[in-house]
Amino acid sequence: MLQIKCPWCGLRDETEYKYGGQAHVAYPEDPAALSDEEWAQYLFFRDNPKGPFAERWVHSGGCRKWFNAVRDTRTYEVLAVYTNNDPRPEISPEITATGVAAGGQ
Amino acid sequence: MADLTTLQGLRRSPLQDMAAELRNGSVQGDRAVLLREWPFLTMVNIRVEPGSETAGRIEGVLGASLPQQCGDVTGDGAHSVLWLGPDEWLVISQAAPESLVGSLQSAAEGGRAQIVDVSANRTVVEVTGPGAREVLEKGCPTDLHPRAFADNTAISTSLARVPVLLWKVDANTFRVMPRASLASYVGVWLLDAVAEFGPRASAVEGV
Amino acid sequence: MANSMPGEHPEWLWRDPDPKSSYDAVVIGGGGHGLATAYYLAKNHGMTNIAILEKGWLAGGNMARNTTIIRSNYLWDESAAIYEHALKLWEQLPEELDYDFLFSQRGVLNLAHSLQDVRDSVRRVEANRLNGVDAEWLTAEEVAKVCPIINISPDVRYPVLGATYQPRAGIAKHDHVAWAFARACDAMGVDIIQNCEVTGFIKDGNRVTGVETTRGRILSDTVGMVAAGHSSVLAEKAGFRLPVQSHPLQALVSELYEPVHPTVVMSNYVHVYVSQAHKGELVMGAGVDQYNGYGQRGSFHVIEHQMAAALELFPIFGRAHLLRTWGGIVDVCPDASPIIGATPVDGLYVNAGWGTGGFKATPAAGWVMAHTMATGESHELNQPFGLERFTTGHLIDEHGAAGVAH
Repeated sequence: MLQIKCPWCGLRDETEYKYGGQAHVAYPEDPAALSDEEWAQYLFFRDNPKGPFAERWVHSGGCRKWFNAVRDTRTYEVLAVYTNNDPRPEISPEITATGVAAGGQ
Repeated sequence: MADLTTLQGLRRSPLQDMAAELRNGSVQGDRAVLLREWPFLTMVNIRVEPGSETAGRIEGVLGASLPQQCGDVTGDGAHSVLWLGPDEWLVISQAAPESLVGSLQSAAEGGRAQIVDVSANRTVVEVTGPGAREVLEKGCPTDLHPRAFADNTAISTSLARVPVLLWKVDANTFRVMPRASLASYVGVWLLDAVAEFGPRASAVEGV
Repeated sequence: MANSMPGEHPEWLWRDPDPKSSYDAVVIGGGGHGLATAYYLAKNHGMTNIAILEKGWLAGGNMARNTTIIRSNYLWDESAAIYEHALKLWEQLPEELDYDFLFSQRGVLNLAHSLQDVRDSVRRVEANRLNGVDAEWLTAEEVAKVCPIINISPDVRYPVLGATYQPRAGIAKHDHVAWAFARACDAMGVDIIQNCEVTGFIKDGNRVTGVETTRGRILSDTVGMVAAGHSSVLAEKAGFRLPVQSHPLQALVSELYEPVHPTVVMSNYVHVYVSQAHKGELVMGAGVDQYNGYGQRGSFHVIEHQMAAALELFPIFGRAHLLRTWGGIVDVCPDASPIIGATPVDGLYVNAGWGTGGFKATPAAGWVMAHTMATGESHELNQPFGLERFTTGHLIDEHGAAGVAH
């Protein structure tokens, strides 16, 4: 089971959270102006990387707030959590390449 | 407006039908655990920008600050204020709901705030005694050890996989607050969970 | 049938060739679908100068991890057509491949637990019948006649109100299926190349001309991506995106027991499915873990939930012991239907997005993928399953029929 650190409540079990998929997907400013292909991209296509992934979680069993996390989809390690107002944190190229930080863990 | 006095007389608490079961099913001995519903406490949900002028006026009515950290509880008797989220709190009180909600809404008037009477949303199950923590640890994913979970701490978490508010008053006193519709499930779960901690009260008293 | 018995097969069922520098067609992925694709490329289209490139070992991904349920009782015409085609192929494959892979048509029950569940199920039975799929609606008492160990008591939280029943559905032994296809492919001259990971695509303009691999460059102007779990990773290397998300999907088996469970039971509502393998293990699974993950493992509470659901339906399992749990990686599409067809890159075709239920479709997926690769045109059965449906909006929503992973 994952343990995720809610920005407000601290470390809690995964069972208190719901997953929200890729983060930083903005609603199109003018949906009516999009082509069918562009609308399909917005509606159905999401990144699916094997490695660090910025994603949304909601602490539904706690403070009920949405927040973002960068989690490695290979190791499931949560590399960073941040609020919706924060920019996506930088993840070191080393972790991106290998899934583990220097010196192992 | 409806005659609230009459309605109060008709009101039934979520665990009213389990009162005797909870009493008789409590266990005695070195690790005694007493189960009891505390019905009809007034509960008011507050949402407001913390630190705002409106929040200040609300705090004035409550006679307590709105706690700023997860787990924190403020207030000293009349009203207790539990942290639910960075902009959400639950007031638990023995004051009449209509008067408390009325004064809070007056204080919030003109500001951006939400004051809602949620007294019927949850009930309170008091779990007390030297075995209380161990019983709850059987079904709660949060670390309840005193090194991690201090006296007078309240959090949203789960018990037996259903969402509850859990308020630790002191080492041997916990208040479990499930939603009304899940209260009997939590009650039945607790009756089962306490069984291994000592003889049932009914057996001891010969009820 | 002159089937060889499992366990009596020769030591090597296929060669272990080095890759040639070029092939008429290359299939990426040596799982069930990749093997079936190569088999039908050779058998139906006479293409034998072809290779299967497998990054690990043959049938070591989802083909090794699935729970082997075979059925065709899907709701929509497009789905019923392709899954029923698969079931008809399953019925002839043991003889055709001369390999008894323990295909057992023991039926499947899809339980209904609420009034809406009943309505949806009856609707699906009627839709199935219109499409020539054998389907019946059973009352709870009739369910108990098919499978006496199901708890049909009205006292449980979600009582069994009835079930859809497809008698021709069943299970097969997945690794034997892979070996049967591999032997047949090899005999027709297909190179099965293991430990050969595709690391990039070679393109001439927008046309694929080959692949870079960990065993060198292999040229081919017809390439099929059949790499469930890693479809997005490959698509990214080829320069396009797929509307799939990769999730962990877990399953479990009990220790070996005497035969107690005569059919396959699935419940979307209580959320578990259970069959009993030939050796005696109870085989169970349910839904995906909620998060994206390539780790071939999931969270234990998901397993715990599956077992709780199984106990609700089968009180007799109360003293059964869990033997092992495992996980695979499934590509899930927004409409719970697969993607089979052309990609934005000429000459590059994709078979992906089967979510939790690709095993049952293995022969039909291979059949239509082979047709698509050999002719450059979709077969009528996979025409509706192209990538373009996400732009046209013609989705094939099978969340109901695929509601519990299987």
